[in-house]
Amino acid sequence: MDRNNSRRQVAAMKQSLFDQGLLDEQFIQLEELQDDANPNFVEEIVTLYYRDSSRLISNLEQTLERNPLDFNKLDTIMHQFKGSSSSIGAKKVKAESSLIREYCRTGNAEGCRKSYQQMKKEYVALRKKLENYFQLARQAGPLERACRPK
Amino acid sequence: MVMDDSTDLLPIGMRVLAVDDDPTCLKVLETLLRRCEYHVTTTSQAIMALNMLRENKDKFDLVISDVHIPDMDGFKLLELVGLEMDLPVIMLSAYGDTKLAMKGISHGACDYLLKPVRLEELKNIWQHVIRKKKSDSKGKNKTNKPDNATSDSCSGLRSAGTENSDENGRLAKKRKDQDEDEDEVKENGNDNEDPSAQMKMRLIEQVLKN
Repeated sequence: MDRNNSRRQVAAMKQSLFDQGLLDEQFIQLEELQDDANPNFVEEIVTLYYRDSSRLISNLEQTLERNPLDFNKLDTIMHQFKGSSSSIGAKKVKAESSLIREYCRTGNAEGCRKSYQQMKKEYVALRKKLENYFQLARQAGPLERACRPK
Repeated sequence: MVMDDSTDLLPIGMRVLAVDDDPTCLKVLETLLRRCEYHVTTTSQAIMALNMLRENKDKFDLVISDVHIPDMDGFKLLELVGLEMDLPVIMLSAYGDTKLAMKGISHGACDYLLKPVRLEELKNIWQHVIRKKKSDSKGKNKTNKPDNATSDSCSGLRSAGTENSDENGRLAKKRKDQDEDEDEVKENGNDNEDPSAQMKMRLIEQVLKN
């Protein structure tokens, strides 16, 4: 009984992450790659993402501190950040990244900095939520299969 | 037995070289490619990729690479691979810029995929290998003397660069050794085996089963 409850909670949590627009289809794709040989694949990928992207975050912050702002450099880092974020299905982070790129294109330093703050908030919040999600999923047991949210 | 390139031939073991400097993207790509049952080698550097390709032209069937790699322009890599090795190259990018895609295709990419790449898209990339080799062999191997029907239709799968007489000799040897070597077709570590012949053998087996 308890197990079923836990699983329902996990499913509900995942559903809410999708409903809030934090995750997209790519996350489901990752879950579909999870199997007996790779039982924690999604968590591993997300961990890898946060570890690697922290390097990008510090590059970003260094670049944003400079005056005048080097838009080309910023755009290059954002390009990679966007690609990385999209590979884990981080929908909102990806959207904010696109926005920053737009501001780079138009040479809007204020816009870049403001968007970056927003993006960082989303990025940090998502990390916490995914940590909770994986913890719950682990407790619920390995039967967490990929299921498309409604 | 005549072999045709119908879509129920499974290209298991097709050897892919995947290049992306982003570790997350590379890991996901690698896993997706393995799920398609391709044999995957990964690297985060274009220079490394080129070295691997130059070391042995016949070691890979297809290259899939991100457009933006720090140590070399992805289009430059694309050009070099096309010129030196004549392998099919698929470009990947996080941006769906039509101009970039056009640039890729005009530099010789056989496809341009948007990240994040989906499994369904990767399941079809083997077709580029077959297509390329068929069009290459049509242009080059006019003097091909087939031993029998199988040899003739197999010629399309061979690397474009190899000698004609060698090809027929090797293929004959492969058919003889096929039964013995069937179990050894897993990883790339086998010195005696021509890896592209392994892929051919799997395709042949599939046809013979049907």
